[in-house]
Amino acid sequence: MIALAIGIAFGFCLERAGLGDSRKLAGQFYFTDFTVLKVMFSAIVTAALGAFWLARLGVLDLAGVYVPETYLLPQLAGGLLFGAGFVAAGLCPGTSCVAAASGHGDGLMVVLGMFVGVVVTGLAFAPLRHFYDSTARGPLTFPQLLHVPYGAVVFAVVALALATFAAAERWERCA
Amino acid sequence: MRRALAIVAATGGVLALLAGSPYPLDVQRLATAVAREDDHVTAVELAAWLRAGKHRLRVVDVRTPPEFAIYHIPGAENVPIESLTAVPFPAEDTVVLYSEVGIHGAQAWVFLRALGHRRVYFLRNGLHEWLDDVMSPTIAEGAPADAQAAFDRVAELSRFFGGMPRKLTGRADTSEDALRARRRGC
Amino acid sequence: MSEALTSAPLPRERERVAEGRVRARAYSDPYLAGTALGLVLLASFALAGRGLGASGAFTTLAAKVTSSPDLHQSNWLLLEIAGVVIGGFASALLAKRLRFTAVKASRATIAFGGGAVMGLGTVLARGCTSGLALTGGALLSVGSWLFMIAAFAGAYALAPLLRRAWR
Repeated sequence: MIALAIGIAFGFCLERAGLGDSRKLAGQFYFTDFTVLKVMFSAIVTAALGAFWLARLGVLDLAGVYVPETYLLPQLAGGLLFGAGFVAAGLCPGTSCVAAASGHGDGLMVVLGMFVGVVVTGLAFAPLRHFYDSTARGPLTFPQLLHVPYGAVVFAVVALALATFAAAERWERCA
Repeated sequence: MRRALAIVAATGGVLALLAGSPYPLDVQRLATAVAREDDHVTAVELAAWLRAGKHRLRVVDVRTPPEFAIYHIPGAENVPIESLTAVPFPAEDTVVLYSEVGIHGAQAWVFLRALGHRRVYFLRNGLHEWLDDVMSPTIAEGAPADAQAAFDRVAELSRFFGGMPRKLTGRADTSEDALRARRRGC
Repeated sequence: MSEALTSAPLPRERERVAEGRVRARAYSDPYLAGTALGLVLLASFALAGRGLGASGAFTTLAAKVTSSPDLHQSNWLLLEIAGVVIGGFASALLAKRLRFTAVKASRATIAFGGGAVMGLGTVLARGCTSGLALTGGALLSVGSWLFMIAAFAGAYALAPLLRRAWR
């Protein structure tokens, strides 16, 4: 199935980038290793540009691609919590699977921890429900929010990414 | 190699800024949908959907807020037509647009279809169709049996929404005044 | 995929090469790997009408185990994450990086705890770095960028306190 094939390619790329190594990932947050930033933003830029241009040329039906829904408060809170857990674990859900698959023992621990965390949250869901459903905004995108053309936002993302890369390279050279 | 990637990205980004919308407008497909009458629903169909609690149905009133406040279809949300393109409709939602008489509803249909939404419909005769066919449906006395049966089904739906179905005695009065009188409602 | 050794090997890699033992390949250039990842994401858009994900696979398994109806379920993601495991394994194997390391108890505990906190975060946010930051980021989703910024903020905020753990 396509899901499996895409997953294999996904896992392969992550491991190639070195993101199966928790120490390498954590380096991002101690300013010693900017791989996380470089890989993530390169991927985002490539996919955003690619999606825009394939759609613009009529090859891809952009409206048919599922856009994650926005829930302002839960995603803000979830993000903060996720980041805290991330810097402790040194791995995210995807990379933890890659780490475990490539033999890193701590990868397996992160996988188990995440599973337990998800299970407990699911069981103790009732008090969270109201917060969980709050501030829903549907599949809101920046072009819609800011009333600017889609291409303009793509341009901004590319510009932001390139500037960030330049800054990261500078830092790595001087540090 | 990095430099090459960066140049490609930068070029792609700058051109994107100037390139226009990534949602190509396939006018022919829209025209075909109109001809096949895939573009609209009747007020009675909408009423049936509303009563059945159709999954992920969204009824959107594209008139101004004051007009919306006076009367709107139950369960409708108000999105004035100029704000419509900024509202993110998930692809799984079925959107039914309506306006006073149907013109803005039809235009709004084109806008949402142009943005790629597929499950979009409008009320051909707008709110007037709702008021006439759902809130005050009528049938002439002495109409054939199948028409009576159809009317009875609509009447039941009408009462659900607090409407007033009527059997007309004598000649059906379809003068403008009578129609307007029905629309004022009570 | 051709591998140009453009980045300097990590200290650990250099050690191993010097010792003349297994010669593992250095990691790919991050920009190249990132671009490749972006192409995978793009392929997903084109072929499956959706992006990547990871936490969704965890919630699906958890939902199956605990019959919790509130957790998001997706069989697509289960298959995809199986692929991720296979792909990660294959890449490590081909690059001769496959080695099963033992874990210190302290590291194991922190990894587990960090994972648990991430679990909570992903349920609330309805996604993780793969599904939100990468996919939602590429699709210009407001909530996804918000999540990504919050995640980086949370990580940088807690980093000083965990410095000792990473020594």
